[in-house]
Amino acid sequence: MSRRATVLLSAVLAIALGLAGAQTAAAATLRLGVTADALSTDPIASSDNPSIWTQLLLFDQLVRPSRDGTRLEPGIAESWKVSADGKEYEFKLRANAKFSNGDPVTAQDVEFSLRRAAGEKSQWGRFFRPITEYRVVDARTIVMRLDTPFTPMLNNLAMFSASILPAKLVESQGAAFFDKPVGSGPFVLTQWARGQKQTMAKNPHYWEAGKPKLDGVTIEILPEDNSRVLKLKAGELDAIIGIPFNQVDGLKSDPNVAVGVVNAFRTDLVQLNTTKKPFDDVRVRQALNYAVDKAPLVQNILRGNGSIANSPLPLMAHHNADLKPYPYDLDKAKALLAAAGLPNGFKTSMLVSGGDATARQVAAVLQASLKRVGVEVELQNIESSSQFGTTKAGNFEMSLSRASSDTIDPDQLIGFLVVNPERANAYHTQWKDERINELYALERRTLEGEERGKMFKEIEQRAHEGAPFIFLYRQSLTFAHRKNVSGFTLMRTSNYDLRDADIR
Amino acid sequence: MKIVWFLLGRLLQLVPVLIGITAVAFLLLRVMPGDPATLMLGARGNAEDIAALTRQLGLDRPLWQQYVGFLGDIVTGSFGLSIASRRAVGLEMVERLWPTLALVGLSTVIAVVLTVPLALLSAVRRGGWADQAIKLVFIAAMSMPAFWLGLLLVLLLSIAVPIFPVSGYGDGLLGHLHHLALPALVIGLGTAALTIRALRSSIIGVLGADYIDTARAKGLPERSVLWRHVLRNSLMSTISILAVHTSWVIGGTVVVETVFGIPGLGHLLVASISARDYPVVQGLTVMFALLVVAINLLADLAYVAVDPRLTLAG
Repeated sequence: MSRRATVLLSAVLAIALGLAGAQTAAAATLRLGVTADALSTDPIASSDNPSIWTQLLLFDQLVRPSRDGTRLEPGIAESWKVSADGKEYEFKLRANAKFSNGDPVTAQDVEFSLRRAAGEKSQWGRFFRPITEYRVVDARTIVMRLDTPFTPMLNNLAMFSASILPAKLVESQGAAFFDKPVGSGPFVLTQWARGQKQTMAKNPHYWEAGKPKLDGVTIEILPEDNSRVLKLKAGELDAIIGIPFNQVDGLKSDPNVAVGVVNAFRTDLVQLNTTKKPFDDVRVRQALNYAVDKAPLVQNILRGNGSIANSPLPLMAHHNADLKPYPYDLDKAKALLAAAGLPNGFKTSMLVSGGDATARQVAAVLQASLKRVGVEVELQNIESSSQFGTTKAGNFEMSLSRASSDTIDPDQLIGFLVVNPERANAYHTQWKDERINELYALERRTLEGEERGKMFKEIEQRAHEGAPFIFLYRQSLTFAHRKNVSGFTLMRTSNYDLRDADIR
Repeated sequence: MKIVWFLLGRLLQLVPVLIGITAVAFLLLRVMPGDPATLMLGARGNAEDIAALTRQLGLDRPLWQQYVGFLGDIVTGSFGLSIASRRAVGLEMVERLWPTLALVGLSTVIAVVLTVPLALLSAVRRGGWADQAIKLVFIAAMSMPAFWLGLLLVLLLSIAVPIFPVSGYGDGLLGHLHHLALPALVIGLGTAALTIRALRSSIIGVLGADYIDTARAKGLPERSVLWRHVLRNSLMSTISILAVHTSWVIGGTVVVETVFGIPGLGHLLVASISARDYPVVQGLTVMFALLVVAINLLADLAYVAVDPRLTLAG
């Protein structure tokens, strides 16, 4: 009786409320469900993905990654020239480039924005400080000079932190500008209920003809995976990102829903602390790579949404395709361990991000795999925000982790993952390969092209052989949308591209 | 006038409590591995960048200076600037306060509305089938974790019979209420499970009291006996339980807010802890403490309203 009363009560409540929430979606507004809200719209004060993804909808950069993530294409600059010595960059802005308030985007705006990005208050200063001189030639032309050639520069200019802002407005409004930002990107932020949703309208002045196709987009913040999936099924959302792998097949069977998969710039790996025994021995590190059977990880945990990794790098430009993953070979693993003086294996421990269901599953599989060669792994669950700090401090033996890139050039990840010291002592493994350090320095002053590509390939090969990590897999990004949505996709840098998205 | 002094007294009592709570929250956060600058820059910063950001955030100062600065920020009401969003923490908290208050308020209303008639029914028909059924249903509701009960209700009332939205917060007052109905029901059922048991047993106790026989003997109708004499005399312990439980619910909204995507304080707390956004977590600690105190105040006022022998002076 009481259950009936409960149901009745709910029904009465709902009717009394007049079904107030009934969706009266305006024409061509896409409702997108995401996991977390942006924190700021200021490109120089952001580092979290949600903020970056929102900024990429609001602002333009001089250049931008192509849809397939293999090259840079014109952004707000219609063309550019790099001098033969690699020290001078000249950009020509589009004649029809306008901010959402109708003002033209000028060379002065570019200089202001990039100087700001290189400034004291910027988290990203190091990325733009190589530019030592700006010369505004005319309203649409700007020249930048570098003291020494720095090839990753062009990629840095495609990053969110190099977004072009309207100089006058930012100067006059200060921090308040970022509450109601004005940019030249495809959308304008019209309302932001923090933690709940961002409401955006089409930028009527957007330069790209016929785009965006949508009149607007609402980005709804729903941290719970199940509730995003259920809301999509119930038609309360038009598209979602971040689908747990074990729900992908269930969504595929829904006749109203289409599921998409994109190869992301991401690799999952196990960091090995090479300052601790026996991880200082390359034979041990290689043995661990042979001892792990990666195919079941991809098949059973990712449900096929990924591929086996042959190196710490994602599949990106200049990727070394000749490199084969370490095969699953227990005999070879045992032989290598025996050669290293550990015929009976050893005891060790592995940090695992306890809040990440996929990571916990993978860790359990790794533990079982390594036991077969006598390596006893004690799993240590750790809160994800503590993991980076803990490995950075060197308090670990093994750590299950991942690396992802927000540029399409391998330079950023290589500097992080395998160069020592550079930024992270080869991602906290303390592994050091002098030849890689040399190649890294060289690659940064070599003009983009095949010769630079060869250097990356050699770096990748040395990383493969030196094995400071157990290379696991490259997992794909999954997204889903209702069948009446078209053109919705994710970029390989994980952000959503809504320029071509449409809804009928 | 009396009530003003009463409130002032209560606020004064709060000061030492807050100093204790803030000190513990402050120290706990600093002891946790992982610092905001490293988390923000992650793969993209080198040691120099991280040191510069730490300096910019004022986190290179000695701990006691940071703590004193934090106390100063509480006094001014700004609660400092959020590390993640660079906005005033006070502002962030006020934005997120309303969804949480609405959720807690609505769930309490649901709990009370369920408790009074069902407890009366259980007590009066003690051992009958209605009593057994109520016991069964609410023990089941209480035993289920909130996220699980929440998902079950969503499957039933949003997917199978689409009355309520799956999650979210909606727009406008009616939209908010519509979206809050299910999460409030989840919390309300859990609360009602406790309060129904409590109220039922005190009603049973009161039903055996002499003054109830007197009331009946002087010819009062049964309805009047139950509502005016029995219920009023049974409510005290239930109010205490409700107050304690609601204080607990405020901390527990974290789960329900996450499951239902409600942009409240709990939601903000989880995000801020992950980002090691010290000022926001510290501010929220103070905010939660204030809310618990406010609920206890309300409970005190409710005692006085129910029992004319009590006054605020006590």
